[in-house]
Amino acid sequence: MALIAARTYKPLPLLLLLIASVASFLLAITSGSLPVSLQELWLILQGNQAGIAYTVVTELRIPRAFSAWLTGAELALAGCLMQVLLRNPLADPYVLGVSGGAATGALLAMMLGAGSALISGSAFAGAMINLMLVFGLSHSKGSWSPTRLLLTGVVTAAGWGAIISFMLSISPDSHLKGMLFWLMGDLSHAGHPGNHIWVLFISLIVSGLLARSLNLMLRGDNQAKALGVPVYSIQITLYIMASLLTASAVTQAGSIGFLGLVIPHILRLTLGSDHRILLPGSVLCGGCLLLLADTFARTILAPQQLPVGVITAFIGVPLFLWVLQKNNRGLV
Amino acid sequence: MLPICYFFRQITGRYLKYLITSGLLSLIGAPLLQADIRVQDDTGTFLQLSSPANRVISLAPSVTELIFSAGAGNKLVGVVTFSNYPEAATQLPVIGSYNHFDLEKILALKPDLVIGWKSGNDQKAIHHLKALGIPVYLTETRFLEQIPETVKRLGQLMNTRTIADQAALQFNNRLAALKNTYQQQQPVRVFYQVWNRPLITINQQNLISQVIGLCGGQNVFAELDSIAPRIDIEAVLAANPDAIIASGMDKRRPEWLDEWRRWPSLKAVKNNQLHFIPPDHIQRQTLRVLTGAEQMCQQLATTRQHLSDMSGNPISDTAEENR
Repeated sequence: MALIAARTYKPLPLLLLLIASVASFLLAITSGSLPVSLQELWLILQGNQAGIAYTVVTELRIPRAFSAWLTGAELALAGCLMQVLLRNPLADPYVLGVSGGAATGALLAMMLGAGSALISGSAFAGAMINLMLVFGLSHSKGSWSPTRLLLTGVVTAAGWGAIISFMLSISPDSHLKGMLFWLMGDLSHAGHPGNHIWVLFISLIVSGLLARSLNLMLRGDNQAKALGVPVYSIQITLYIMASLLTASAVTQAGSIGFLGLVIPHILRLTLGSDHRILLPGSVLCGGCLLLLADTFARTILAPQQLPVGVITAFIGVPLFLWVLQKNNRGLV
Repeated sequence: MLPICYFFRQITGRYLKYLITSGLLSLIGAPLLQADIRVQDDTGTFLQLSSPANRVISLAPSVTELIFSAGAGNKLVGVVTFSNYPEAATQLPVIGSYNHFDLEKILALKPDLVIGWKSGNDQKAIHHLKALGIPVYLTETRFLEQIPETVKRLGQLMNTRTIADQAALQFNNRLAALKNTYQQQQPVRVFYQVWNRPLITINQQNLISQVIGLCGGQNVFAELDSIAPRIDIEAVLAANPDAIIASGMDKRRPEWLDEWRRWPSLKAVKNNQLHFIPPDHIQRQTLRVLTGAEQMCQQLATTRQHLSDMSGNPISDTAEENR
């Protein structure tokens, strides 16, 4: 089954995921504390600027929906790439410490009382420091292997974790709220995604071009090398891309867990492990799931808000277990 | 008859039994027992001290403040971090933060009374202190009227009743004056913003919501379930409050308060009713809460003025149309 799926390109699931994404987008922009009917929405989309509904939809819901979708897509794609790179089913976008570095940067900025733009910038800087640190450390003696990279990353991540705990324990209460909130991950203040779109777009194109090589790399480095795949440079590309995607996602929305681990697995189990399907599938499915989760998080108890991570887990855990039960195929 | 009733109220069943069985009742008599200080704390636990407390440790910044208000600041031997009011409190030895204090340091200071904050302090550590035989008085303020009451009780515990009762009386007078002036005025719909990221407000159980009511305001999120609920911007836009009051982190007006100006259709923005009250004046459950209340009442009075100026519309109508 897996082999057949790997040979024929079946775009139907992608089309379905695309439709699901559009549907969840519509759901996201029609639901919220302020009731907006479909009729009103139609007028708003035509540019009818009267009333508070227009501002709510165009300035709050649409940017937030885009950010949610984009963040989910980036995390799922990053997770998918990390799992190929590390050849480990437990790999997720955060396993190499990118989110830890970003969180350290963000929390440090918060401790110094910085504004939101500076917090995002600092988070991104933290993620980049981690990228270079882990790369440099796992690469220094010339031998580069996924295992070495994984161990370096996991230990670095633990280091960031310790720094974060330290910062949390010495910060005053007034800062603590914002810090914990950032660590949980949240989209309520995500603005227009802006340049982050390009991170996803370019990564998707590049990884799409590499998809066939990634398929071959699943059989092991030696086989892939024998078949003419430039394994080493692809690994470095994957590492940088996955880190950038994660950094972009974390900068926008804090560390939203779980998606990056589970979405690629769900798709592998249902659609097979052909990366030509898997990569765009992860993007669409991750985006869709986070967008839905965020919509539920802000509407279930409206006007009270829930952390989006709670909802992603509520949707994702049963979904993943169900898919796993249905398929007796092994992972990766 | 009356002295006897008083006498029996003063001693609990346990002591009564002990005294009767040992036959000491007639020997000791009432005067000595009355010297015992017996006070009930906010958790309903009775505290009995054989003599007024002289070495006291405070486990919350607000408690430190209340102890000073009760005139017993000189009996404090240890406080927690952020005990920044009054000035004298900053000179005292620090035993940790309110949610993480150093038991060893507390013991080393040899306190004869520890005054804590029930919902803020680590309950395990409190149990530990009690198990070590240190008397612990826990405060938990749910109503404005409780604050002067706490000050009076602290005065009893530390034998500074004259000052404490005086402070409590003053508080009650100021409170009554505010109530008389503002509570029955035209209602103003208020959104109180605790924080911006996450966007947090308060429900009616919160003391601040009572202050809003005292000033003749209506908390637009009074009905929510949690005491400090997280909400979204949209909910504020839907509620369309007449005034937004925020506190932020310190004495400075938070920059994020002006972020509401992005929404010019909000009534609070249109009438320029974005107000700031320093958090120490309103979020701390101390006598200073009336300073915050006085500020808020004045702020809401300007809001009220704006509303009645606007095209002569009765305020209740504009409040209704947003419901």
